[in-house]
Amino acid sequence: MTRAVLLALLLAAPYAAAAQGTTGELLDRAAQHHAALDVEREITILRQIVSPNSPFIVTHEQRVLAYKYLGAALVVRGQADSGILYFRAAIERDPLVDLEPQTFTPRERQAFAQARRLTFALGGRAVAVDTIDPRTERLSFTVLSTHTAALRVELRSAGTPSGLPLYAGDNDGPRELQWDGLLADGRLAPPGRYELFVAGQSQLNQRADSVRLYFSVAHEHAPLEDTLPALRPDELLAEQHPAGRERQELLRGFGLAAGVLLMPRVLANGELHGGGRRLAGGIAGAASLAGLAGFVYRRRHREIPGNIAANAQNRAARAAANAAILERNRARLAETRVVVAPAAGVGP
Amino acid sequence: MSDVRRLYAAALAAVGVALAPGVAAAQISLHGRAEIGRLEHRIRLAGLLEPSSGTLLGGALGVVVGERFEAWGEAMGGHLVADSPAGEDRDVAEVQLLGGMHVRPWVTLQSGVSVRTYSTPLARQRWTTLRLGAEGRLPLAIGGLQGIVRAQWMPVVSVSGVARPDVALTTGAGLEWRGKRVSLSAVYTLERYDFPASDPSLRRLEEVSALRVRATIVRRATGRI
Repeated sequence: MTRAVLLALLLAAPYAAAAQGTTGELLDRAAQHHAALDVEREITILRQIVSPNSPFIVTHEQRVLAYKYLGAALVVRGQADSGILYFRAAIERDPLVDLEPQTFTPRERQAFAQARRLTFALGGRAVAVDTIDPRTERLSFTVLSTHTAALRVELRSAGTPSGLPLYAGDNDGPRELQWDGLLADGRLAPPGRYELFVAGQSQLNQRADSVRLYFSVAHEHAPLEDTLPALRPDELLAEQHPAGRERQELLRGFGLAAGVLLMPRVLANGELHGGGRRLAGGIAGAASLAGLAGFVYRRRHREIPGNIAANAQNRAARAAANAAILERNRARLAETRVVVAPAAGVGP
Repeated sequence: MSDVRRLYAAALAAVGVALAPGVAAAQISLHGRAEIGRLEHRIRLAGLLEPSSGTLLGGALGVVVGERFEAWGEAMGGHLVADSPAGEDRDVAEVQLLGGMHVRPWVTLQSGVSVRTYSTPLARQRWTTLRLGAEGRLPLAIGGLQGIVRAQWMPVVSVSGVARPDVALTTGAGLEWRGKRVSLSAVYTLERYDFPASDPSLRRLEEVSALRVRATIVRRATGRI
């Protein structure tokens, strides 16, 4: 059963694609008839396209186009009211729709303007993928009201109730707005999803409308450097002598004294009965005192000034290196470019 | 080659090693030293012991090249008073050239030549020695204070009128305090000379012990060699 359904879908797919192509061809033919002022044939084709019973797939854009041409054809045939109705249908579906002066007659455009006055809708041109340097370039948004209205345009981080006002005031027709990539606090807009919120109220029929255009913001800059981590304990020199070091000082002094005392006894020739033992005794006494003094000193001063200074120097060098890295990173961030792309909504 | 010529050659070699071209770019410092010492000289000759002692005064100039090499020229002299009726007073004078190489911060290899004369109203005896040895330094807790231990062997000793000694060595130990510009030291030294003799009872033995107190001033030169 499942296989049969799959087979049916596979067989139907080419026909669907062909049908879509057929709608395009029909629209082309209708446009040709319109240019040739053959409105009857044009209307026939267009009615076929907009009919709910149309065998073809009709996209949103194709439907808007069909309504536009149908409205124009009816105006040419003298059925201006009906034409305006189709124009309004086109405007309701796409407020940005317009009649090109080189293709449509003033009468058709006049009827279209009437349709715009009767229909209140707000629109915005989809945000295109773009990259700007916020220091020198601006991002453009195009919003539109079909007729005169009080318009308010805000740029918001998606999902937040308020944002950066881009425009507030009267408007009639399309309006181009520019954004420098900064938020109200003067900072670059952080990466994420944003929405361009357009709200307005008609000044002709007091109707209100709003529209949201979603887009994503990303930052593009040179890769940032990692700062150096803080010095680990095993990278630092000991800043204090270990316990027991004072005994070592005592042993050094007494050891030196013993060595001096042994010299005349061991190395001198015993037959001379001399060796300057009194002289050696003087040095031995001094060495013993030095050992005792070292013992007392070390008990009171366990710090190792050389190591403390070396550690401080290492820390200072590391802090200076990190400051330099941060400065380089800051410079790179200052050259950040803002990449804008259309998005589907507030989130994936 | 005579002993004296060999000694001079050794002295030149010591200075040459100390000021080797490899250290041409090193910073040099000049040292000046004043010295006072108490010296005891004991000699046993033909079974008679002749002790004498006296005060020595001297001075030295040194060049330290970088942190590795040093060379010293030293002169000292004094009058020794006989401490026994059999002995006689004498004057002693000595000049010494000494080179040193610091193989570790606490070990210095030393080599040098010294010429010493003992003079009495009747005679003068000259000693010329070549010294090879090492000096170790032991840092103590109090800032700048170090213990010193040294030993030197004298492979060549030439004594006028006397045969070369069998045993010739010197040892020493002391303390030194080093400041930035001044250092003070007190060192005990002992020299031992045993001369050969066919009759051991008539053997000539000599010994020089001394306590030397030194004050050294350092002048750091800004130039380079």
